[in-house]
Amino acid sequence: MIKLLGAAMVILAGTLAGWIQARRFAVRPQEIRRLILSLQRLDTEIGYGFIPLPEALRRIGAQSREPLNRLYNEAAEAMEAPRNWTAQDSLHYALQENWKFTSMKAQEREVLHQLAFTLGTSDRANQKTHIQSAVKALEAEEAQALEEQARYEKMCRSLGLLIGAFIVILIY
Amino acid sequence: MNEQWLSVFPERIRSLLLKLPPLMLSGLEEVRIREERPLEINTGGQFYFLKEDGGVTVHPEQGVRTGREESHRLLDLITNHSVYTMEEELRKGFITLPGGHRMGLSGRAVLSRGKVEHIRDISGFNLRIAREVKGASVPVLPYLLDNRGKNLLHTLIVAPPQQGKTTLLRDLARAVSSGQFGTGREGWPGLKVAIIDERSEIAGCRRGVPSFDVGPRTDIMDGCPKAEGIMMMIRSMSPDIIVVDEIGRQEDAEALRQALHAGVRVIATAHGAGDAKPLSPLLEGILGGKLFQRFVTLRRSEQGFAFKVYDEDYKPLLQH
Repeated sequence: MIKLLGAAMVILAGTLAGWIQARRFAVRPQEIRRLILSLQRLDTEIGYGFIPLPEALRRIGAQSREPLNRLYNEAAEAMEAPRNWTAQDSLHYALQENWKFTSMKAQEREVLHQLAFTLGTSDRANQKTHIQSAVKALEAEEAQALEEQARYEKMCRSLGLLIGAFIVILIY
Repeated sequence: MNEQWLSVFPERIRSLLLKLPPLMLSGLEEVRIREERPLEINTGGQFYFLKEDGGVTVHPEQGVRTGREESHRLLDLITNHSVYTMEEELRKGFITLPGGHRMGLSGRAVLSRGKVEHIRDISGFNLRIAREVKGASVPVLPYLLDNRGKNLLHTLIVAPPQQGKTTLLRDLARAVSSGQFGTGREGWPGLKVAIIDERSEIAGCRRGVPSFDVGPRTDIMDGCPKAEGIMMMIRSMSPDIIVVDEIGRQEDAEALRQALHAGVRVIATAHGAGDAKPLSPLLEGILGGKLFQRFVTLRRSEQGFAFKVYDEDYKPLLQH
């Protein structure tokens, strides 16, 4: 009886691990999509609204869901008094502190890291170009993430169950 | 004392400035930052370079140098991390800071169809600290009164740069607007004043709200070309007095003439040597005929201003 219970638990654990892994594949393209949308909003705030960067980031933060809103709010807060950091330092700090809450990978982080060097430091036309090229790069990542999702999501799910079952067979 | 402008500087420069003796700090007129070169200050009409230990020197090689990183940081702070909101300011070459202080900028100009579009690689900064001197106009005011109209006479203030023209102009606007002028114990009621502030120096507006006290009945057209601004104000704000800074072009004189015909009094400033004759031949040519009824020349002295007032025929009325 106890043996049976143990076997059930092993299978359950395996399935769960598989599901969690699969979920990561499913969430990444969603998060990239939301990141792209938020950058496009930033583009509008800068290009048409003339909104100063800290306020623009706050607005976007308010409109975004977890975990992106943390990122934007943290950056905006670092730019304002009393810290008064530069835009670049603030964004880099926010990335470093909040990236662990996202399911995105290092490539996406690199895109934002690069964008932080130019954000707020030039005229509108230039800002637009930089944001657009960041969006393009993210779209490429998104396509890849979607492909990975199609390929691995289901596989991870079944693989979890199968590995659980395999372990049970081995030790039974 | 208002040392709000200190907060625009990066940490290191701020702490250097705070090490200055209090008298020098309160007398500061300009702080000049030039990338890779010594940090310069201008206090009480004298210039110095700052030393690492907080002292001052006139030898540039002993001065503290500022680097690229600090220029970046400074630009980031004065633009609120958003250079793109300051395109117009970058075209003009200066940014107005809270408190009405002005940060002049120099760098590499980017042209578009032969006109300056903005400046990039900004490496030179000059903070001109604005000081409001309430009551600066008190000694001059009695000579500018029009007793019949209970108003001021058309007045032109002539002086070289940095002698206090704008300070006097600002205080005249405040006094007239708030009704602190005229004869008798009660004085005369305040008048509607319109300031055309092309370079944001008179009122030091941030988002349309003046940083200086320019009086309760004063309207300001900020950043507006003078000739156009004068006409707009006459049409829209029905002023009793128009106040403008630094006239000197043909179209300015034309707009002034229009104002005179509209029955509006004009107080203006102009650059000039400010010695024997108040008007330079150039200005005289532009202004042609008798536009102004009073001329005031200014010179900075130990006690504040030294000024002379002339009537419309350039006859001196007062020497102070």
